[in-house]
Amino acid sequence: MYLRFLMSLVLLAALGGVALAQQPTPPKTHLKVGDPAPEFSLRATDGKTYKLSDFKGKKNVVLAIYVLAFTGG
Amino acid sequence: MSVDSVPANREFAKQLGVTFPILSDFKRTAVKDYGVFNEEQGFGNRATFLIDKEGIIQHIDEGNVAIDPTTVVEACNVLQRKKASP
Repeated sequence: MYLRFLMSLVLLAALGGVALAQQPTPPKTHLKVGDPAPEFSLRATDGKTYKLSDFKGKKNVVLAIYVLAFTGG
Repeated sequence: MSVDSVPANREFAKQLGVTFPILSDFKRTAVKDYGVFNEEQGFGNRATFLIDKEGIIQHIDEGNVAIDPTTVVEACNVLQRKKASP
């Protein structure tokens, strides 16, 4: 009985592994180097709204997108 | 930038001690326009875009590559040098 339980546990773990491996890879952006960057207008933690076009002719911009706040990445 | 709300990012920035403002794409418009929206999870995948003064994309890091800022910093340096030498 115990062995059967253990075996089903192993099977479940294996299935879980397969499910993880089969997760679709995250979509790749359609944008390429040399493309015009899409305009954005977003509110920031300082209460201001920043537009990409505000920086045109003035500054280079690094747009860093992270997954979620309070997570490691 | 992330898809978190402004208050969530504000608290996150406070915890990290970040001094620069963080953008909030709560409506998921920018992550969609930049092709990094993860529909299943509802957030933007990790990515870094370097955009020059003319609004042209000069460098893209996507996924786990984007954790390490070395390549985008190097791309920034290249861009700066270009500007310096006419």
